Amino acid sequence: MPPTPGHQHPLTQMIDEINHIFSAIGFTFAEGPEAETEHYNFDQLNVPKDHPSRDMQDTFWFKDADVSEPTVLRTHTSPVQARWMEAHGAPCKIIVPGKVFRNETTDATHEAQFYQLEGLHVDKGIHLGHLKGTLEYFFSHFFSGKTEVRFRPSFFPFVEPGVEVDMRLLAGDSKLAGKWIEVMGAGMVHPHVLQAGGVDPEEFSGYAFGMGIDRLGVMKYGVEDVRDNYSGDLRFVNQF
Amino acid sequence: MKVNYNWLKEYVGDVLPDAAEVDRLLTEHAFEIDGVETVEGEIVLDVDVLPNRSSDCLCHRGVARELATILDIELAHDPLRAQPALTETDKITVNIADTNACPRFTASLMTGIAVKASPDWLKTRLASIGQRSINNVVDATNYVMYAIGQPLHAYDADLFPQVDGTWQFGVRYGVAGEVVEILPEGKNTEPRQVTCVGTELLIVDDSSNTPIGLAGVKGGQFAGVHAGTKNIIIEAAHFHPTVTRKTARRLGIVIDASKRFENECSRELPPYAQFEIIKLIKQIAGGEYQGTLDVYAQEKNNPPVDVRLSKVNALLGLELSLEQVRDIIVRTGAAVSDRAAADVLTCIGPFERTDLLIEEDFVEEVGRLYGLSNIFAVTPDTSAVATVSTKQFYSEHIRQTLLAAGFSEVITSSFQKKDHIQLRNALASDKSYVRSSLAQNLHQVLDANFSHTDLLGIRSVQVFEIGTVFDKTADGVSEHISLAIGVCQKGNGYTPKDNAPLQVALDAVATSLNTPIDWSITQGVAEADLSAVIAVLPEPASYTAMVERTTATYTPVSPYPSVARDIALWVSVGTSSDEVIKALRAPAGDLCVRIDLFDTFEKNGQTSFAFRLVFQSQEKTLTDPEIDAVMTVVNAAVVELGWVVR
Repeated sequence: MPPTPGHQHPLTQMIDEINHIFSAIGFTFAEGPEAETEHYNFDQLNVPKDHPSRDMQDTFWFKDADVSEPTVLRTHTSPVQARWMEAHGAPCKIIVPGKVFRNETTDATHEAQFYQLEGLHVDKGIHLGHLKGTLEYFFSHFFSGKTEVRFRPSFFPFVEPGVEVDMRLLAGDSKLAGKWIEVMGAGMVHPHVLQAGGVDPEEFSGYAFGMGIDRLGVMKYGVEDVRDNYSGDLRFVNQF
Repeated sequence: MKVNYNWLKEYVGDVLPDAAEVDRLLTEHAFEIDGVETVEGEIVLDVDVLPNRSSDCLCHRGVARELATILDIELAHDPLRAQPALTETDKITVNIADTNACPRFTASLMTGIAVKASPDWLKTRLASIGQRSINNVVDATNYVMYAIGQPLHAYDADLFPQVDGTWQFGVRYGVAGEVVEILPEGKNTEPRQVTCVGTELLIVDDSSNTPIGLAGVKGGQFAGVHAGTKNIIIEAAHFHPTVTRKTARRLGIVIDASKRFENECSRELPPYAQFEIIKLIKQIAGGEYQGTLDVYAQEKNNPPVDVRLSKVNALLGLELSLEQVRDIIVRTGAAVSDRAAADVLTCIGPFERTDLLIEEDFVEEVGRLYGLSNIFAVTPDTSAVATVSTKQFYSEHIRQTLLAAGFSEVITSSFQKKDHIQLRNALASDKSYVRSSLAQNLHQVLDANFSHTDLLGIRSVQVFEIGTVFDKTADGVSEHISLAIGVCQKGNGYTPKDNAPLQVALDAVATSLNTPIDWSITQGVAEADLSAVIAVLPEPASYTAMVERTTATYTPVSPYPSVARDIALWVSVGTSSDEVIKALRAPAGDLCVRIDLFDTFEKNGQTSFAFRLVFQSQEKTLTDPEIDAVMTVVNAAVVELGWVVR
C-alpha cells in the first residue's frame, strides 16, 4: 500500500507557484547568499553609510575576525539585484525569493528570519506602468481572481520614485475581497543603484519590488502568526 | 507625527478641507495616515512622514505646505515666507571647534520676561499632540519646534556665567572620559551622567569650558528656566545629522529634537525659529528682545537640477507637457527656470527641503502630485521565456519525491544556541550562532512532533528540510544548501528500526535524480550537501508543470493537549471502514477532531476494525471523566447500529 503523502511547507508551495507565474512572463528565478557583504546589502543599494537600518539594532553582523570583509545576514533580497546587474548587465528580468534576517523583537508579525520576494526588470523604456501591469498579472494569478493594484508615495533608498503598493481582490468570497491591502514596496530603480551595477541610467530604466512571502501567506492561507512558519510543527504543516 | 487639524488650518487657511479629506489627500499624494483621533477636544491626524521628508515635514508648517502644494494654493500664513527681521547682539559669543559638526549657531537674548503657566490654547495644542506643558518659556520652545521643525533650547541668562558682560558659548567634541550631566528622561528623577567617548558634540559654557548639554540630543540642568527667571537666552542651531544620530543611538536617546537633527532639517531654519519664538514669548511671557547672535559658518544651498521632460515621462509612463510638469514643480515651492535646451527645466528645491537633489527626485514630485492613480498598467509579455533555475527545479523535484514517500517539509531556524560561527550581535543568547547543519534542528523536530502523532493521525514522524547552512573556512564564511531527512517511529527517540524507512527515502531521492548521494547519517537523520549534488546534475530545459497547490485555510493549533481513545468493533463483512467512521462522527461529537483506522482483520465471517479517536478542545484541557462520558455515548451508538464492541 503506498504511503499517505506528506505535506509541503506552505512557504515553498507559494515560492513554487510564484516561480511558475513569473517564469511565464520571462522572469528568471535568481538567488544570492544569505551571508551577504555590507557592500551588496547596503552600499550598492544607495543606503547611506550612516543609515539607521545598518544599526546593530536592525541587522545581524558577523564578527570581523570570521570574515574577509564586513558581512551581515542579509536584511532583504535586494542585494541580488546589485549582484545580478553587475554579472549580467541590462536588460534583465529576475525574481529573487529568499530567506532574510532582521534583528528585531519577535512577535506574531515579526520573526528574526522570514522570506521575501524581490523582483527586478531593467530594459529600455521601462516605466511605472510596466510595474503596475506585472503586479496585477501576478496577483490575479496568485489569488485566482481579478485583482487591481494602486500606488501611494513612499521612500526606499534604492528606488526613486518610490511607491507603496496596495492590492484589491475584485471578486470572490474570500475575506480579502473588496478591500485594499498594503502588500509591498516598489519603485523605479535609483540611478545610483543602476550605476553601481554597471548599467547606464541614460540608456536603461527599471522597476524593482519587494514583498514578504510570509505576508502573502497571511492573505492566501490565513497564517497570521509568522512564527508558525518556522516552528517545525507538523500540526501546522500537515494542514496544507 | 501627530498633527493638530486646527494648527494646520492656521497656516493653510479656511479653505482647508475637513479632516477626512485631508486624510485622503495626504494618503494619495504624500503620506500614509495612521489614524485620526480627537484628543483634548482637538482633531489630530497621525501622519506617517516618510524618511526623505523628515527634514521639512516633521512640523505643522511642513505638512500645511504639503497640503497647499497638493491643493495648488498659497498658504494663508507662512512663517517661512519672509526673511526674519532680527537685530544683532554682541553680548553673546560662540566658539565653534568644528564648523562641519555645527555649521550654524544662533542665540537670542530676551530680558524682563515672566515665567508662568502657559495660556490654555498653548497647553491644549501641545497636549493634543502628546506633549506635556512645563511653563510658558519651555512650552514656547516646543511649540516652535512642532510649528516649523527647528529645535530650540532656552537658558536662564542670569544663571549662565558672564565674562565682561558677555555670555560665551562653545561647541566642541567631548573628551574621552569627560562626564556630562543631562536631564533625566522618562520616569527617572535623577539626572543622567554620561561619560564621553570623544564622538559626542557638546554645548559648553566657554568661559569655564564646562559642558552644559549634548548638542542636539539632550540638555542639562545648567541654567535651567525656572519660575523666577527674568532673562533668557534661546539657542537655535544646526548640528550634523550623523554626529547627532551616533550620540543619540549610543545613549539610547530618541527625542523629537534629535530626530529632527538626524533628518537634516534645513540650515536656513534657525533665524526663522528665533523670530517665531521671540514673537511668541513676547505674547505669553512679555519681555524685550535684545538681539541675536548668528554664526553661519557653512552655508548649504539646494543644488540646481536639470529636469528633462523626456525623463519625467519615461519613468512615469505618462505623456505630460512641459507646462504641466513646470506647473507641478512650481507648486512645490521650487524655483524653476527654462533652460536654453528645449524641454528642460532647471529646478532648485525650496530651502526647507533637503531631499530634492537629483532629477529623479523631481520626477517623483511630478508623479505623486499629478497622481499615481494615473499610471496606466501595461500587460506583461507572455511570449518571453525565462531561464530555468537548476536549483529550484531539482529542489522541487526532491520535494515531490519525498512527499510521495510520506515525508512532510519543515523550515526551521537558521540560528543555533551553539555552533561554529557566532554572530557579533544576536538578539538572544539562545540564538547567537548560525547553523552549520540542518540535522540538529531536525532531531528536535522529530522529538517534538512525536507527542502529536495521534492528533496528526500518523504512526511515525517523517520530515525533511532544504535550507542554507554556513561553513567556517580559511577565507571566511561560506554557505551551501543542505538537504536533511529524518524518521522517528517511537516516542522515546531513535531506534535502529528507523534506519529502514529512512533508507527507503534516501534511495528514492538518489534514484529520482539518477545520481549517488553522499549522506551523513546519525540516529535517524540523514544530511547531504545539496549544492554539491545539484552542481553535477544536467541543466533542465524547462520546468515541470506545477502540481495542484493547497487551498487550505489554516486553523491555529489548540494549545491544549489532545486525548486519544481506541475502539475496536466487529462488523459484518462488506461493511466499509468509511461507513463506520461516518456513523461514529455524530456520537463522538465536536470535540473529536479525528478518527483513523489503525487495524483491520477478518475472522469467522466478520470484520474487525480498530479506530483511534482523538479529542481536543480549543478552550481547555479535557478531563478523563469528560471523555469517558463521550465514549459511553459512542459505545451505545455502536450497539444501536448492530455492531459489537470488542
